[in-house]
Amino acid sequence: MDRSAIRSKPRALVRALLRLGAGAASACALLAHTPAAFADVLPVGVELPLTGSMARAGNAQLEGIKLAADLFNQGNGKHKVSLTVIDDEAQPAKAVSAVEKLASQGVLAITGGYGSNSVSPASEAADKAGIVYITSGAVDSAMTSRGLKRFFRIGPASGYSKAVVGQLNAMGVKSLSILASTKQATTDLSNEVSKQMRAQGATVTVHAFDPTMTDFKPLVNKVRLQDKPEVMLMIGYENDYIGILRAAKVLRPQLKAVMGAWSIATPKMTAEFPDLVNNVIGCAMLPHPAQFGTAEGKTFVEAYQAAFHKEPDYVAEFAYVQSRLLFDAMARAADAGTLKQDGIAAELRAKPHDTLIGKVSFAPNGDNPSFLNNMAQIQGDRIVLVWPKERATGKLNYPALPW
Amino acid sequence: MADLLLQSLYSGVLVGGAYALVALGLALVFGSMRIINLAHGELVLLAAYIAYTFETKLGLNPVFAIPVAIPVVCAAAAAAWYLVSRIKRDRELNSLILTYGIGIVLTNGVLLGWGADVRSTGNAWLQDSVMLGNLLSMRSEVLSFGISVVLMLALWWWLSRSWYGRAVRAISSNRDAARLMGIDPRKTELISFVVAGLLASCAGVSIYASSAIQPSVGEALTVKAFIITVLAGVGSIPGVLAGALLLGIAEALTVTLASSALQELAGMLLFLIVLYVLPNGLFGVAKRRG
Amino acid sequence: MHATESATSSTLLGKASSGPRLAALAVTLAVLYAGVPLALGQNLYLMSLAVASLTIAGVALAWALLGNLGGMVSFGHAAFFGVGSYISALLTLKAGWPVFPAMLAGGVGAALASLAMTPALRLKGPYFALAILAYAQIFRIVATEWSGLTGGASGLSSIPGLPKVAGFDFGSKSGGYLVVLTLVLVFAAIYARLRGSHVGLALRAMHESEDATRVVGVNSVMLKLAMLMLSAFMTGLVGAFNAHYINFLEPDYAFNASWAVVPIIAAICGGYRTLLGPLIGAVTVYLVDQLVLKSLLPTGHQIVLGMLLVAVIIVSPAGLTALRFKRTRRGVYAAS
Repeated sequence: MDRSAIRSKPRALVRALLRLGAGAASACALLAHTPAAFADVLPVGVELPLTGSMARAGNAQLEGIKLAADLFNQGNGKHKVSLTVIDDEAQPAKAVSAVEKLASQGVLAITGGYGSNSVSPASEAADKAGIVYITSGAVDSAMTSRGLKRFFRIGPASGYSKAVVGQLNAMGVKSLSILASTKQATTDLSNEVSKQMRAQGATVTVHAFDPTMTDFKPLVNKVRLQDKPEVMLMIGYENDYIGILRAAKVLRPQLKAVMGAWSIATPKMTAEFPDLVNNVIGCAMLPHPAQFGTAEGKTFVEAYQAAFHKEPDYVAEFAYVQSRLLFDAMARAADAGTLKQDGIAAELRAKPHDTLIGKVSFAPNGDNPSFLNNMAQIQGDRIVLVWPKERATGKLNYPALPW
Repeated sequence: MADLLLQSLYSGVLVGGAYALVALGLALVFGSMRIINLAHGELVLLAAYIAYTFETKLGLNPVFAIPVAIPVVCAAAAAAWYLVSRIKRDRELNSLILTYGIGIVLTNGVLLGWGADVRSTGNAWLQDSVMLGNLLSMRSEVLSFGISVVLMLALWWWLSRSWYGRAVRAISSNRDAARLMGIDPRKTELISFVVAGLLASCAGVSIYASSAIQPSVGEALTVKAFIITVLAGVGSIPGVLAGALLLGIAEALTVTLASSALQELAGMLLFLIVLYVLPNGLFGVAKRRG
Repeated sequence: MHATESATSSTLLGKASSGPRLAALAVTLAVLYAGVPLALGQNLYLMSLAVASLTIAGVALAWALLGNLGGMVSFGHAAFFGVGSYISALLTLKAGWPVFPAMLAGGVGAALASLAMTPALRLKGPYFALAILAYAQIFRIVATEWSGLTGGASGLSSIPGLPKVAGFDFGSKSGGYLVVLTLVLVFAAIYARLRGSHVGLALRAMHESEDATRVVGVNSVMLKLAMLMLSAFMTGLVGAFNAHYINFLEPDYAFNASWAVVPIIAAICGGYRTLLGPLIGAVTVYLVDQLVLKSLLPTGHQIVLGMLLVAVIIVSPAGLTALRFKRTRRGVYAAS
C-alpha cells in the first residue's frame, strides 16, 4: 500500500460513518412519516365524572376503560393506545372544556361520558372538533337525533325500557307507580315505560322528584296511601334509590315488588346497603358472582379481578365494551391510513360486532338499536339474572320486598 | 286523604324539629352579634362527617359521636369568631362576605377530606320504623326531634339564668351599655360562637343519623337556617322552633299536595313572603327595614 | 369634596387626556383585540379560558356596580345570568330571532326580572343579599318546571351560535372572545361615566345618609332600582352571550351558584371599589384557579379561593387593588 492509501483509511472510515449516519437519519425521517409501519401510539381521550354526584359510575367506567386499554395493548403488537383522563365533575360546561382540552392535545377519539346532561354538549363539542365520541352513559333518545356524524353509543334507553316493560309483563303487573328524577335520561325512560304500560291497559302514576331531594317520605307516602300499586318503579341514580328505599322501609307500602332502573343491581349496592336492597329488581347485564360463557368474558372477569381486586359491574362492562370497539376500530383505521379522514367512524359503522353485551351494530345516527338489557334481582349477596328467560341464571322471588 | 295529610304533617313536624336545631346556632349568633354566620351550615356539615367517620371507623352508633364532634366544631366556630373579630369596619356587610368565604373553605375542606359521595348511616337501630298511632317515622327522626327540644330548653334556660347567657342578651340589646356594666363584648361574642358550635355539632350528628349528607348540603342548610331565623324574628328562641316547624310543614305539604319537585320553592316563597309582609318575623321585635 | 375625589380617582377611562395615558390605553386595546387572538387563536382550550374569564369579569363588574353605586350586596346574581341566558336562547330557538338582538333582549329581560325584586330594595344589607338568592332559586325551579317552554331539566341544546357578520365568523372561539371583550369594555365605560356623573354623586351621598338625601329631594328608591336594573341588564347580557357561546343550557347550569360566587371572589380580590379591580380580579382569579389550582388539587381547589376571600376581607376590605392605589389617593376623604 502506498502512503495515500494508509492516510485515506481513517478518512474512508469517517466517510463510511458519515454515510451510515446519513442513511440512519433519512431512515428515521422516513419512519417518522410512516407511522403505520411501526408500533405507534394512538392517543385517546377519556372524559368522565370522577367526582361529584355521578362519581361512583364515573369511576366504574374508568376502570372498564383502563382495562380495555391494557388488554388491547397486550394483544396488539402494532398499535398502542394511550389514555388521557379528564374529570368533568358531572358539570356540562366542564365536560365541554374537557373535550376541548383533549382535542387541543391531539386525541384521535374520546370514550366515556356519563349522564345525558353532560354528554349532550360534550359530544357536540367533540363533533365540532372532528373527533369520534363513544359512550354508554347517555341513554335518552334525543341523543342520536341531533345529526352528529361522530357520535356513538351502545346503550340507548330503548334497551332499558324494553327490559323493564318485559319484566313487568313477566310479573303480570297491572298497576304501577313510577318515581322518576327530573333529569333528562330518567324522565325519558319514565315516559317510555309509562307509555308502553298504559298502552297495555295498566294503571300508571308518575311522581317526578327534584334531583336534590333527600327526604322521600312524603312521596312514598303518596304511593302508599293514594296509588296503592303492585309495583313501585324507581328511576334515578344511586342516592335517589337509597333515599326512596329508606323511606319505604319506614312507611312499608303494600307492594308486591320494588324495581329500579340502572345503577341499582350492582355488587357495590349489595355490599354497601345489604339491608335496603334485598329483592329489588333492576337492569344489569352481569350477574354476581359474574359468569361468562365465552372465553373473552372469562378473560375480562379475571383481568378485572386481578387489576381491581373486585368483581366487575355492568357499568364497567359497558365502558370496556365501548372502548374495545373503539380501539379495534382505531387500529383498523390506522392500518388503512384513514385516521384523519373519519376512518374511525367508518370502521365502527362498517359491520356488526360481537361483544360481551351481545351484538352491537351502529346505525347511521350512531345508535345501537339492537341493545337489550337484562333484568336482575338482588338476592342476598348475589345478583341473579331473571329476564329474559334465555339469559336467566336463577328464579325470581315474587312477591318479595326489601323489608 | 286525611291519612295522607296527617302523615305529611307529622313528617313535616319531625323534619322541622331537626331544622330548628340547625337554625338555633345561627339565630344565637345573629341575635347577639348581628352577624349572619354564612358558614354555620358548614359547621353542621363538619359534625355530620365526623359522625360518619366515627361510625365507619368504630362501628358504633353515630349518636355517640357527639362528644367527639363537639370539640372539633367548637374549635372551628372559635376560629370563625376570631376571623370575624378582625374586621375593622362595616362589620355587618364584611362579615357576610367573610363568613361566606369561610363556608367555601369548609365545604371544600370536607370535599377534600371525605370526597363527594353521598353518605348516610347504616345503623339499623336508627333506621327502624317507629309508630305513633297510625303515623310512621324513623327512630332517628324522633330522637332528633327530642334532642332539639331538649337543647332548646337548655338554651333558653342558659340565656335567662346563667351569667354568660344574660351577658349575651345584654350585648345584643345595647353593646355600649353592657360594656359599661363590665361585660367584655369580645369574650361574650366568643362564647356565643362556641355555643352555636355546640348546637351545630348536635344538629350535624342528627342529620347524619336521619338523612343523607354530601358536601353541597352545607350551603343548603345555611340558607334554610337563615330562612328560619328570618321567620322567627330576631331574639326569639320559641320563634325559631315555630319558624322551623312552619318550614318543615310547608315543605311536606307542598310535596304531598303539589309536586315534589317544588319542595325547595315552598321554602323560598315562604321566605320572601315573611320578608315583605312580616318584616319582624313571627315573634321578633327588631327593626329590619333599612 | 366627592367631586374632587372622583376626578382624581384612578380610572384609565376617566378624564385622562394626557398623552402617555392615551398611548397606554391604545396599546392595551391593541394587545387585547389583536394580540391575544393572533397569539392564542389556535389553542381552543386557552381561548376558552380567556372567554370564560371575561364572562366572569362581566358579571363581576355588574356585581361591583350594584355594590358600589347601588350600595347593595347581592348573592344571587346567578338569577340575572340565568334569566338572560334562557330568554336569549328561547328567542333564537323558538321565535327565530337573530342572535345579537336576542342577546340584547336577554339583557332587557333580566332587567325586567329585577323589577320583581323591587320589594327587596327596602331591606337592609344581609336580608337583601339573601333575598336575591331566594329569587335565584325560584327562577331555577321555574325554569325546571316550566318544561313546555324551557325544556325542563333536559335543558336546551343546539342553541344557535354567534353569527357571521361582514365575513367574520363570530361563532369561532376568537369571534366569541372579541364579542365578550367588547361587552366587558363597554360595561366598564358605562360604569366609569356613571361614577363620574351627577348620578354617581347622588348615589354616594345616599350611602352616607339616606335620610339626608331624601330630604334634599333625591329619590333613593328609584336610584337604587335603576342601579339594580342596570346591573341585571349587564349580567343578563353576559349570560345571553354565554348561552350562544356554549350552545346549550340547563337550569342547574344557567342558575348555578358559581355564577354568583366566583365573580364575588374576583371582585373582592381585585378590589371592588375600583373600576379595574373586578376585571383584573376576574381574569387573574379564574386563570389561576383553572390553570394552577386545578392541577394541584383536582377536587376542592376552590378552597384556596375561599381562603383568599377571607384573607382579603381581613387585610383590606376594599380589595387588593386598593392596597396598591392607596398611596396615590388625595383629598380630604382619602380614607373612604
